[in-house]
This record gives sequence, structure tokens and C-alpha cells, in this order.
Amino acid sequence: MQRASRLKRELQMLSTEPPPGITCWQTEEKIDDLQAQIVGGTETPYEGGLFSLEIKVPERYPFEPPKIRFLTPIYHPNIDTSGRICHDALKLPPKGAWRPSLNISTVLTSIQLLMAEPNPDDPLMADISSEFKYNKPLFTEKAKKWTQEHAVQKNMGVVDGNKENTPVQKASSRKREAFGAQQHAEEPAKKTCL
Amino acid sequence: MEGSDSLEQSGSDQPESQRRRQLDRLGREEAFYQFVNNLSDEDYRLMRDNNLLGTPGEVTEDELFSRLQQIKDGPEQQNNTPSAENAEDPVEPPENSEDPAGGDSLLDWLNTVRRTGNTTRTGHRGNQSWRAVSQTNPNSGDFRFSLEISVNRNLAEQQAAAEGEQEVPEEARGEASGEAGGEASQEAGGEASRGAGGEASREAGGEASREAGGEASREAGGEASREAGGEASREAGGEASGEAEGGASGEARVEASGEARVEASGEAPGEASEESPEVVPDVAPEMALEMASEVQEPVVNAEPPVPMETEVVEEPVVEELAVIVEPEPELEEVVSQEILGEPPSPLAAPLVQPPLSPSPRRGQRRARSRSPEPRRTRARTARSRSPLNLDQLDGLHNPHHVLSSQGPISANAPTVPQVEGSSRTRQHVLSRQSTSDSDVQPSRAGAEPVPDVQNVTSQEGEAASGEGGAAGRRPPTIMLDLQVRRVRPGEYRQRDSIASRTRSRSQNSNNTFLYESERGGFRRTFSRSERAGVRTYVSTIRIPIRRISDAGLGEATSMALQSMIRQIMTGFGELGYLMDSDSDSSDSNRGANTPADLAEALNNTDTTPAAAPAADVDVEPPMAAGVRARTAETDVDESLATAPPASGGRARSRPPISLEEPGSLPFLRLAHFFLLNDDDEDQPQGLTKEQIDNLSMRNFGESDALKTCSVCITEYAEGNKLRKLPCSHEYHVHCIDRWLSENSTCPICRRAVLVSANRESVV
Repeated sequence: MQRASRLKRELQMLSTEPPPGITCWQTEEKIDDLQAQIVGGTETPYEGGLFSLEIKVPERYPFEPPKIRFLTPIYHPNIDTSGRICHDALKLPPKGAWRPSLNISTVLTSIQLLMAEPNPDDPLMADISSEFKYNKPLFTEKAKKWTQEHAVQKNMGVVDGNKENTPVQKASSRKREAFGAQQHAEEPAKKTCL
Repeated sequence: MEGSDSLEQSGSDQPESQRRRQLDRLGREEAFYQFVNNLSDEDYRLMRDNNLLGTPGEVTEDELFSRLQQIKDGPEQQNNTPSAENAEDPVEPPENSEDPAGGDSLLDWLNTVRRTGNTTRTGHRGNQSWRAVSQTNPNSGDFRFSLEISVNRNLAEQQAAAEGEQEVPEEARGEASGEAGGEASQEAGGEASRGAGGEASREAGGEASREAGGEASREAGGEASREAGGEASREAGGEASGEAEGGASGEARVEASGEARVEASGEAPGEASEESPEVVPDVAPEMALEMASEVQEPVVNAEPPVPMETEVVEEPVVEELAVIVEPEPELEEVVSQEILGEPPSPLAAPLVQPPLSPSPRRGQRRARSRSPEPRRTRARTARSRSPLNLDQLDGLHNPHHVLSSQGPISANAPTVPQVEGSSRTRQHVLSRQSTSDSDVQPSRAGAEPVPDVQNVTSQEGEAASGEGGAAGRRPPTIMLDLQVRRVRPGEYRQRDSIASRTRSRSQNSNNTFLYESERGGFRRTFSRSERAGVRTYVSTIRIPIRRISDAGLGEATSMALQSMIRQIMTGFGELGYLMDSDSDSSDSNRGANTPADLAEALNNTDTTPAAAPAADVDVEPPMAAGVRARTAETDVDESLATAPPASGGRARSRPPISLEEPGSLPFLRLAHFFLLNDDDEDQPQGLTKEQIDNLSMRNFGESDALKTCSVCITEYAEGNKLRKLPCSHEYHVHCIDRWLSENSTCPICRRAVLVSANRESVV
């Protein structure tokens, strides 16, 4: 639909006034393939990490929600190992809450919020969820560990590090996900949070 | 950013072209909005409803403009002919050209359908023959496809009896004279149905003539049969006549909906039948047919020109898919026989009795289809079939007829059925609305009055049985009618009404079972009733197709249609099972086969596509496709059993296409049947076009404060059309309409746009 013109506007907005802790840019010249990074919130297990996400904009956007996935491994009750996110704003009604008045920016912001406040009652990863609910310290510890392993730039300058690491991570995570995707492809619906 | 760049190197070559493409697209989008904003409300609605707007940026303004012109041209024609149907008919004839591609797949066919037109195709395989007729109503864009498959069981017998019937039942028949008519009739019927009677007749005539012509239906028939003009109609109607070998029983059948078919199976002899036909025509052509049948002699086919059916298109059916299986098998039963029989009896006097009371009966039946008045009545009532009661009534009135008929019938019936064992599945479009049957004669009129819901069914059944009986020899025939209609505002209501109709119908019956399940917009109703030994199964599946439209043009739509058809077929299959299990009759095969056949038929046949507007399936997306299939089978369990020809019974089934062995088919229990429904997935519910149109709309004016449409994130410009939801949130009309077609809440506040419409979507 209005995808092209709308995305164009959205990208402008994202570049001019991005939400705090979030960056988003167009991949190549493809209008329907975006990349984003979310900075782990302070006082969360993800602090210090930089999480990359992949955004696929469907043809029918904005009448359909963008497809967003974590490229960076993250230990979270609502995000599975292939990076898929269980979030109602990413699904169409009646099950989801997507609506055309939302946009990439708001969705990324809500994902940022989800990272800070997992929703164990609508888990995608049952184990992590119960851990989050009943053994928070353990959860926090693991989440931090994952963050350190996968999302933190170990070297120097954040800026440079980002540039270099991001691609690498993506590459690796992509492979991983490729597998995951294949596996999940067969039972897509089921995987959603239950 | 950088990251992206590095990743993209591989694609670095593309950027240029991609950028250019994007620019082009943006330009087109701008043009799109401009175009939309300049459209008048009507034009906008027209294009939207026909899904001609497409996606902004995908289509150039010129293309949009040409689409608008096209669609406008179409409608105008329609307008001219209030009775859209009529208009159609005329068109059809010319188009009738048959499409040769018998082998085309349904999908191909659907994809190629572009123009309005009616087409008829026939073919046969082994002992089965099929005829497919497609019709498109240019005005409404409704598309209708009917397929009839007949299997000759007792070929030998039949042949012997009537040469025409022989192998390819239908075709054969046609040849046989009467039959040709029969086929023709079917088609004609189908066509006729839509068209007003007159049209119907023409078409029928036309088709009949063609086909018949080819086949000599007339000749066969008679020769004399009919007078030409009239004949056509009759033939159409009467085509059936040919069939009857034996006797002729004419089958007069009116298909409920628009199609009224009268089949009179006359036997080949045909001799005189013609005369009767003529007479009949006037009065009650059908009756005549029947009579003829009784007489067995030749067929009279009087089938009146009436084009019975006509039902047509206009019906509300639209988005629903209704599969009605009315197997009414057992002709044996007296009642049914009577009905059927009656006519016959009169027939006995092969002559023209038709006109008289007998005719009425049939008339009633047929009348339903044909007689204009009746049609209307029926239409309202529901199917044309209602007549059963009427018939009975008539019978009363015309005792003698009845009696006679009964006598004969019963006698015949039993036998016949057996012999033939024909099972017919007819799917009619329920559209009862049959509009016109101007032809209808008085007799019919009388009949009409009575439309009982149940009756309807029964009638059909009866009719079927009648056919079976009368025609006795008639090869089993499976008829399938598919109707695809555009959804129009208010149609949903109709849908409801249909549902209720069905319900009431079943309730009335003495022995009725009604099952209904609904899920995510997909609704299935199954009912079974037993009356006078006639069992009727009605399965209605309603699928909102509206959504399909969104999916896109073309492929998506056709795919959707395909799946619908598949479902229908599946439904048949299921029904077949049900029937089998219920009856335990040897026919079980039959049931199974039938569905299979249908399926095959569909595949094979190509239907012709027709439809122009409709044809554009793609375009139509919005339209709802209503597919109604009605299957009426006449089984004569007993008869089968008795039957004659065992061969007949089984033969038929096998001959048809042995998709699967009956045995291999699992017996479906009702429970299973219904469980299947659960598989349907839930789909988001959107608003109907009507509901959307009821929302207020205004033009953005200068005075308004600057605002932005939150769907497209674009500021409103003067002249933009905005739609205001009950919650006061506004959007561009084209933006919000699309959203609301699939969802029912406000994009901003998520409040339900319609209080009653909100479902889970309201969070």
C-alpha cells in the first residue's frame, strides 16, 4: 500500500529524531529490509549490550505489522533462540494489537520496553519464563552472561566496535537463525507465545 | 548505517536501479493519491468495491483511469437492464461459444476468465458425460458455473430404451433428441435461471439449439418436438426429455434456483411428444414434459421455454458457499412419486395434459423455476423447490392426476429408480429469486404459492426423484452449480436470511436434523430432513470471500475460489459419506463417486468462464464469491437394491470415475463431518462494505487544522476525503477502508468501530 511513501517518512523520522537508545536504518537500498539496534537498558540484565534486529516490512505494511527479529542472541522469556519476538504489537488482531497507527519507531520502542520488562505470563521460552518468575537471580545472571557473550563489544570504541561487530554478529547469528528458521518454519503458529 | 553498507556490498550494483524503481514508485503513489482524491464518491466506491485500486504505487494513473472506465462501462449496461439477468442472458447466447478446453484446469480457467460470456462445454468419458456451463452477468459481475455429470449406468438398457441416452447420458440424450434437450436444458436451465425467463429461454434455446443442434436434440426429440423457438426453451427445459428412455418420464425439474430445468425425458419415441411439448409450453411446459415422460413415449419436452431458472444471480447468496445436497433418493416413495408421478400420470395422456392440472404440478415445480411469479415467490421463499407442498396440494386438486401419476409413478418409480438408479446431484444455486419466468403459465402460478421451505427441498428431491423415476432410465446425473457473486452492501443480511431459511425449512420437516457450526467467518450448516421417504441433505458453507480480495488480484482470488470449490467438493464427499452411512444402501458407492466425479468434472471441465466482471476475478476480489452448490441426488435405495441393474447402481458409481473405492473411503459420521469445521481457521473480522460506507465521510477543508493520517503518516491536503470513525478519529478514506475491511477497530484507540462488530479484536 502506502508502504513506500510511509516508509520513506518513517525513515526520515527515525534519522532525525530516533527514540533514545534505538537506531534504525535502511539496509542497502531495499526499502523493505531494515536493520535496527537497541541499546540494553540500564539496570537491566542487558545493560551494556547492543542488540541488533532485523526488520522486514511486508508488502501490505502498514496494514500488516513489520516482522522484527533479534539477530543478536538474547536471553529473554519472550524471545526465542532464533530471535523471534512474542509481542502483541507485532501481530495482527484479533490475536495481536498491531494497527496502522503504530510504526517502526513505536514498535522498536515497545520492544525496548519488553526487554526491560519481560512478560512471563505470555512466554515464548517456557524455561526462561519460569526461571524469570521463580528464580530471578538465576535468570538475571544468565541474561547478563548472554549479553556479555553476544551483545557487548569487547574492544574499544563503541562506535568502531559497533560497525565491525555488528556485521559479524549478524553473519553468525544469521546462520544460526537460518537453522532455527527452518525448524520453526514448520510450526510457526505454535511458537507464538502461549 | 555502516553495518548495513558493509553487508550490502554484494548488492551494491542494484542500488541505482533500485533507487530508480523506488522513485518511480513514489511517483506513482503520489499519482495514486491524487487520482483517488479526485474520484467522486461513487467512482471511488466502485473502484474500491471491485478492488480496482490496487496498491498505491503499483499501478499508474492511466491504468487506474482505464480501469475506472472499464468498470463504469460494465455497470452502465447493467443499469440499463434493471433485470440484470435479462441483460445477461442476451449476452450469453452469443458467447455461448463453447470452450474447447475441456481439459483445462479450473484454475486456468479462472485465470483466463475475463470477459463476460457464457460458455458451455461438454465432453464425456467412458459412460459418463459432463456438461459445464458458465455464465457471467456483465451487470452484476456475478459468475455462475454449473456442471452436470451424468453417468449411464444401464447403458445397455437405456440405450435400448432410448438410444439417445446410451452412453453419454447427457450427450447421448441430447442426441436422442430429448436428451439433448436435457443437457441443453440443464445448461439452459442454468443460464435460463439467471436470465429472465425470456432470456433464459433464448439462451436455453440458444444453447439447446447449439448443443442440441449439434446433437439433434430436437431431432431426436423430435423431432417435432418443439417448435423451435419455444423449443429451445423447452428443450432446455426439456432436454431431459430425451433421456427418458423408458419412458419417459420426463423429468421436469426445476432446479431450484434459477435453473429450472425441466427435463422431460421423453423417450425417444418422441413422437408426438413434441406436440405435447408445445402445448405444454404454453401451459406448463414442464408438465408436459413430465407427462410425456409418463407416456414414455416421446418426450415431450415441453419444457417450456421457460427458462426456469433464472434464479439467479441476484440472490443474496453471495459470499456464501452453500452446498446443498439433496439426495432424495428414493423415488420409491409414493409421495415423491406422486409429485413426480402426478405429472406423469397426466402424461399418460401424453398429450398435453400438462396444461391442466398436471401441469400445475409440474408447473409448480417447474413453475418455480419458470413461472415468473412463482419464481419470485420462490425466490423469496427460497428455493424454487418449495413446490413440493404445492405439488401435493395440486395433487389433491387434481386427484386424477395424482392418482394417475401415482399409479404410474409408483409403478414406474420403483422400477425406474432402480433401473436408473440415477443419482443426481444438483446443485442449484439457491437463489431462489428466480426472477423471471415470464413464461410461467398459470398452472405454475398456482403451484408457486406454496412455497414451503421444506417443500422446496422435498421438491427438489421429488423432482429429482421424479426425474429418476420418470426418467427412470436417466442416467445418474450430478449437477453442480457454482455461483460467484460480488458482495454488495446488504448482502450479508441476505446471507443471514438464507441461513434462517434453511433452518426453518428443516424445522418444518418431520424429521430433521440441523447442525450448524460457525467459525471465524466460516460457517457450515448441515441439515437433514426426511419427508415422505425423501431424504434431503443440505449443507451450506459460507465463506466470506471479501478477504480474499485483499490478498491481491488475480492469483490470489482464483486460488481462493479454488479452495472454495475444493471445499465444496469436500463437502460433497462428506455428504456422500453421510448419505451412505445413513442409508446403508448399496449406493454408498454412489455417494462417494459423486463427489469425486464432481471434483473431476471440475477439473476437467473447463468451464467456461464467463464473466466479464466476474471474470476478473482478480479484480473482483472484493466480491464475494458465493458458491452454492446444490446437490440433489435421487437415489433409490431400494430401487438400487432392487434395482435393477445392479450394474446400474454400481456401474454408475464406478463408471463415473472411480476415484476411490467406496470401501476405502472412511465413513464419515456426522461428528466427523462437523469436526472438520473446526479446522477452519479464525480470521480477523472486518467490516462489510456496507458498514464501512455507513461511516461518515467528509472532505478535508482549509479551515481544518493540520492533521496527519496516522495510517499513511501523511498530512491531509485539501480535498482529501476523510472518514471519521465513531471515536472521532479520522483517516484518509482509502487508508481506513482498507484497514476496516479486515479489522474492526480504530487504528488509534482500538475502539470497536461497530459495537456489535467487535470481537476479540477489541482489546
